[in-house]
Amino acid sequence: MITGMGAISPLGVGAEALWEGLREGRSGIGPLRHPDADRLKVKVAAQVPASFDPAANIDERTLPLLDRTSEFALHAAREAISQSGIDFSQPELGMRTAVVVGTGVGGETTQDEQSRRLYADNAQRVHPLSIVRLMTNASASQISIAYGLRGPTFAVASACASANHAIIQAAQMIRHGMVDAAVAGGTEACITYGAMRAWEAMRVMADDTCRPFSANRRGLVLGEGAGIFVLESLEHARARGAVILAELAGTGMTADATDIVMPNAIGASTAMTQALAEAGLAPQDVDYINAHGTGTLANDATETRAIRLSFGAHADRLTVSSTKSMHGHALGASGALELVAVIGALRDSVVPPTANLDKADPACDLDYVPNVARQMPVRAALSNSFAFGGLNAVLALKHAP
Amino acid sequence: MSDSTQQQIFEIIAKQAKIDLSTVKPESTLKDLGVESLDAIELIFDIEEHFNINFPEQQGASFDSDTVQSLVDAVQKELDNKAAAGEGSN
Repeated sequence: MITGMGAISPLGVGAEALWEGLREGRSGIGPLRHPDADRLKVKVAAQVPASFDPAANIDERTLPLLDRTSEFALHAAREAISQSGIDFSQPELGMRTAVVVGTGVGGETTQDEQSRRLYADNAQRVHPLSIVRLMTNASASQISIAYGLRGPTFAVASACASANHAIIQAAQMIRHGMVDAAVAGGTEACITYGAMRAWEAMRVMADDTCRPFSANRRGLVLGEGAGIFVLESLEHARARGAVILAELAGTGMTADATDIVMPNAIGASTAMTQALAEAGLAPQDVDYINAHGTGTLANDATETRAIRLSFGAHADRLTVSSTKSMHGHALGASGALELVAVIGALRDSVVPPTANLDKADPACDLDYVPNVARQMPVRAALSNSFAFGGLNAVLALKHAP
Repeated sequence: MSDSTQQQIFEIIAKQAKIDLSTVKPESTLKDLGVESLDAIELIFDIEEHFNINFPEQQGASFDSDTVQSLVDAVQKELDNKAAAGEGSN
């Protein structure tokens, strides 16, 4: 059961800010704000607003230890834990709580800045806190320290599927009785000069905006942010009278085992089918899929085929939208931001749109809820992440029991 | 000279695709030669590095239909642009 959620995203601070923005079809994509923007080919990105104050609500002794990824993660964790009402100061609960935070590349800002100082500026010394900032587990560790969480704690990495994999890992630990609760999600902040140049070199970046499933789509737009959730067993949630936001009813994890970048419809479809099976859902029970929908030529067509494989005739009755069209591709955080969207959809009976969808593509022929959100009941939903390396992680969500 | 440019390009393609130089023909598509997806992007990178040029953004994105000749033409165009601009090294 999901009992708390928190987020920082290009649509603002807070899970509600993210959800409100998505249901209004607002774009978090804009001109790239970066000191080296004029040296970069890519001119657009989805960035957390400049008004975000990392120091707010973070102890001043902790702040110097944090890369941007951990600033995001801690803020989101604080919101989620506060919303859930869970009291981690209770004896034993800390020991029975896991912390699993997904990230694609961890403390990239720190890595990039220290490398620049060392190689370009010939700095005489590297900042002593560099390792503890950039290590991939930093966010998980900082959350554990902030809340006294002493159970299984680590980072999970699977590129664009990291957040879904982290949430699944946490849920499985609860399911198997290893822990009673978990703080899990994903974080990413990798809009640095080096990372942007590396992404540009792959020739998958859009130069206008993110147009998932549209015939004139030109690739992905990088995003950043974090989404963190409090997960609990049903018993634990009920015992303390927690408000349950949604049930994580099923999960699917597969690997394509075909290509290091090109997605595979079979691998993706199998992950969706697994999630449905574990959730006890028939295809016709699902009303909404939050797609991986990156806006690349490859993903969107392959994902469409994968959905048809898993859903058969019901595929044409589904709504499928990619909120990356509004919050960008936040890589290791994307599954977490997208889970906020799915929870919002379930709760408010509103399916967020696929923005910027202005030209239908014959290879993408499902109902993608173009441009305007749709008011409709959502009985159950899937959230897809299909990552580089052929890694697929799917969540199946239902209303609270 | 154009012939030498073409020869260099053929050699780079043959090396990337791990095929015999004689297999590379102007009308071959990259896909024909087994150069796909990431290989095509690496090929573009190798060509850019070798000639010290920068292709426009979408070059190599349609590896299915890009022919070797179109690559040669694109390289020649960038080299001519460079010469006209009077550029030395980057």
